[in-house]
Amino acid sequence: MLSLYNLPGTTNLKLQFPSTTHLRHSTTFPKKNLTQTPSKSHITKSLLQWNRKPQLAGETPRVVVVTSGKGGVGKTTTTANIGLSLARLGFSVVAIDADVGLRNLDLLLGLENRVNYTVVEVLNGDCRLDQALVRDKRWSNFELLCISKPRSKLPIGFGGKALTWLVEALKARGDGTGGTGNGNGSGSGSNSSVCPDFILIDCPAGIDAGFITAITPANEAVLITTPDITALRDADRVTGLLECDGIRDIKMIVNRVRTDMIKGEDMMSVLDVQEMLGLPLLGVIPEDSEVIRSTNRGYPLVLNKPPTLAGLAFEQAAWRLVEQDSMQAVMVEEEPKRGFFSFFGG
Amino acid sequence: MASISTLHFRPCFPNFITTRSAKRISIHHRFRITNRISTQQFKQQCITSISNIHHQLVTSIPMPQFLLKNQNNIRSNLPIWVCVAVVVLFASLRALSISRKKERPGSVADLVRRGQLRSDRRGISRNLKYEDPFDNPLVKVNKNKSSVEMCGKVYRLAPVTLTQEEQTVHQRRRSRAYQWKRPTIFLKEGDSVPPDVDPDTIRWIPANHPFATTSTEIGEDFAHKNVRQKHGVPFRIQAEHEALQRKLEALQSEEELNKAVINPTIAKEFERPLNSNARLNDHAEKSSSNNQQKDPLSSKLDNGPNHFESASSSSSSSSSGEDENLKL
Repeated sequence: MLSLYNLPGTTNLKLQFPSTTHLRHSTTFPKKNLTQTPSKSHITKSLLQWNRKPQLAGETPRVVVVTSGKGGVGKTTTTANIGLSLARLGFSVVAIDADVGLRNLDLLLGLENRVNYTVVEVLNGDCRLDQALVRDKRWSNFELLCISKPRSKLPIGFGGKALTWLVEALKARGDGTGGTGNGNGSGSGSNSSVCPDFILIDCPAGIDAGFITAITPANEAVLITTPDITALRDADRVTGLLECDGIRDIKMIVNRVRTDMIKGEDMMSVLDVQEMLGLPLLGVIPEDSEVIRSTNRGYPLVLNKPPTLAGLAFEQAAWRLVEQDSMQAVMVEEEPKRGFFSFFGG
Repeated sequence: MASISTLHFRPCFPNFITTRSAKRISIHHRFRITNRISTQQFKQQCITSISNIHHQLVTSIPMPQFLLKNQNNIRSNLPIWVCVAVVVLFASLRALSISRKKERPGSVADLVRRGQLRSDRRGISRNLKYEDPFDNPLVKVNKNKSSVEMCGKVYRLAPVTLTQEEQTVHQRRRSRAYQWKRPTIFLKEGDSVPPDVDPDTIRWIPANHPFATTSTEIGEDFAHKNVRQKHGVPFRIQAEHEALQRKLEALQSEEELNKAVINPTIAKEFERPLNSNARLNDHAEKSSSNNQQKDPLSSKLDNGPNHFESASSSSSSSSSGEDENLKL
């Protein structure tokens, strides 16, 4: 689960992302590894990693689609937790719930009572875009945008285009230009709005029209899968579709991992999953009962205090996403603690 | 209260009767029994004696002084006692409402009570900015980087072995396996395929699709314009407002023309205190005739569920016209 660069036999996967601008924990590298990394002018030189802001790599806004083939693997949970982690790290985030028929992101974030307008209303001219964005009161740099109300139908003739327009409009939000209004309205929210650093798109399950709509504006993708063969087959198919569509930067998060089952060889290990899909790892999220509780409460897991194992893993995944990093080592097995009294069965 | 009444009618001796009086009663009863009197008389004697004892007890127990003293002050301190009673009542009601709120099924407090949710984990976290999750106190990597302790559990670390070449091989495999073109056109089942469209890029949407539709009310250009709008009134709201404004102006101009010709309503207005019944009848006739003349739709609207014009029966026809506009 950690990003460790100086492990024996570790291949430096950072070469595949030329836009990577950070080298976290770089001071702990052996010199031979440092020579392999692309030489960038703004390498992190700080010895002290504590309380530093992760370096944002790539061009903003980073449009990331969170997708999977199979349903119920944790796309929405991941979007909520990574989105709020990014917001807590100080980045401006807009999370778009592109799940037209079965939207749930608002529930996970506890914002279900505040969604009055959606993208459909924006397209119809019933409201402006800034009125449809729901700003989280906990972190004002996090905003939610739902694509439609559960019972309304999305005109998919220009659904993909509509999301692209939305991204463009969000991008142009900070510059103060554009806008076709007559200027006599309130214009609330336009002053405090800036171009977001991240636009996270929660993709619906399957490869239906909703999937096509969701992936249209994305530049990179986070593939969520669980270590079971049904999810892996769908994930492989979806990866193929994403690559056909021109999205090359695809990383995966393996969700609901149980190290005890992996140890007993009842579950595929994360490395097995990676071998099957051939994708770099953004994170490994262990199975945690707190996920269900946090979902019921409408309070994402990363906000729990003390942090849980899964919450910490989501935070690490968010950190890697910011820096376009990938995992170099995974936790594969649980080692029992050997104390002095272990000999006596303690 | 129940205990007091029991005390009154208890046939045996009460506990607080002094031993001397009890002895006297028992002697008295023994005397009567030995004289062989009838049972009816004996019962009567018992009742009278008990009532006498009770009377003696009540009169012998002195009234507390503070009660006697405060009896006069109660009236003067009545507002204070009322306030105390109100406070007690308020506190009890509040406690009742809180307990009911806690008992509401499905609430977080209810989940905590049932043990579903741990109350100590309900803390709202602080805004921990820039806290590195890798250099967290909960994440401890050992010196040789072979194991890690996270949240108190020790895990062995295994390096990721995926190479760039392996990734490329997987990408090639997928590109061979999945030939896919992004759909560029969405058609409903039964629609004819346009001539210049690649059939692979057509997405067929079922007519009864639960959340997707191929038909749209608004044009693509309008939608694009709406998305880009940053200030001002939204397009549709503005359009509706303008339409209402135009209709209102048209109605007002029509009203002015009516006023210029004849003005029977204003003349009738002054007759209100004299014969209101006649005026109401006239107004009803007038409104019905106006509705028929103006617009057949307006009569339907007047009968709508949210219609309030019929109840208020405002006299001027301009206001009725305004309401019709609002309903549109």
